[in-house]
Amino acid sequence: MPARKLYFEAIRVGDELPALAKAPVDRVQLSRYAGASGDYNPVHVDEVYAKSVGMPSVYAPGMLVMGMLGQLISDWARGGQMRRYNVRFIKMVWPGDTVVCKGRVSDRHGSGGRYFVEIDLWAENQRGELVMKGSSQIQLFYSLEDENRQRSGQSPIVVEVPRESLATAQQASAGGAAATSPSAPEEGEEDDERRTGASSKKTAPREKPAAKTATLPTAKKAKK
Amino acid sequence: MLDKNAIGRASPPTLNEVEKGAIRRFAEAIGDYNPIYYDEEYARASGYPTIIAPPTFPASFHSAADLRELLGVGIKSLLHAEQGFDYERPIFAGDRIYVSTRVSDVFERPGISGRMDIAVIEDEGRDEEGNLVFRARRTLVVRAAKETP
Repeated sequence: MPARKLYFEAIRVGDELPALAKAPVDRVQLSRYAGASGDYNPVHVDEVYAKSVGMPSVYAPGMLVMGMLGQLISDWARGGQMRRYNVRFIKMVWPGDTVVCKGRVSDRHGSGGRYFVEIDLWAENQRGELVMKGSSQIQLFYSLEDENRQRSGQSPIVVEVPRESLATAQQASAGGAAATSPSAPEEGEEDDERRTGASSKKTAPREKPAAKTATLPTAKKAKK
Repeated sequence: MLDKNAIGRASPPTLNEVEKGAIRRFAEAIGDYNPIYYDEEYARASGYPTIIAPPTFPASFHSAADLRELLGVGIKSLLHAEQGFDYERPIFAGDRIYVSTRVSDVFERPGISGRMDIAVIEDEGRDEEGNLVFRARRTLVVRAAKETP
């Protein structure tokens, strides 16, 4: 059975992707990746060579780490289609290093029946140092109903969703501290009264995720 | 300083056949055991015609490109600084994809130890009907070999 799918309607700007801690990189993995990718650059597989060019040991190709961060996206965005994926390599990853992949929804928008989420991504080593950062755009169905319609050849559900980061910025500049996204996810377990209270609590931290979980990439982004 | 004339230089398209075993080994090497890369039935139940390849799989494609030829210099070392992909659709097992490589930009950027030569190399993958499947961009810091012809 395929895992539960992700739909656009359930995603909010600021949502965090569940962090993915990979197994420590070892030299066997570097060999396997060299074989699988066809990139036999000796700095990644030949210890003697790597030392001869001044490296303390072999090190992981950037593309391997990009693959790990790609796993974070694919695990989260089940049922979605990756449209864009960009990274910048920042620090080398050595045998013994543990890569932890993280991400956060930075925007969501939809038009003409096509829906997209934008994700900020980054990877850290076991010392919390940034080794890679990037971003991705994922296309999703609006909802299960939208998927069923499209798979049966019907037209998609069309909801115009302006870029939420812009909307949030406008609300913030208008002094709307209580501004929340129009439709908070409400899995109805509680009665109406309690749900209203719960949902405002639930959405409040989502409005300013950067302040709560500020890490290097976010801090940099905020300054732009 | 790299030769600006290199911009636009391209290699002819090279056929890459996407094999299931290659997808499996690539996903295994990353340590990604998502059944969508291994299990035909699971992939179909997920809405795909067959198993798909991980997003960075185009890194395993080969093209006829020789960077020294494309850039017109001997290369002492290359540092992979950035990588980007644009996808028109997922890559499926059984796909036959023609990959061509071109130099999309060459420029200098200030670095820690003087100016750095940067080359942006773009790969383009198309199916047999000529439809675009993906574009990949590599940003490389190039250290040319000292001996200049």
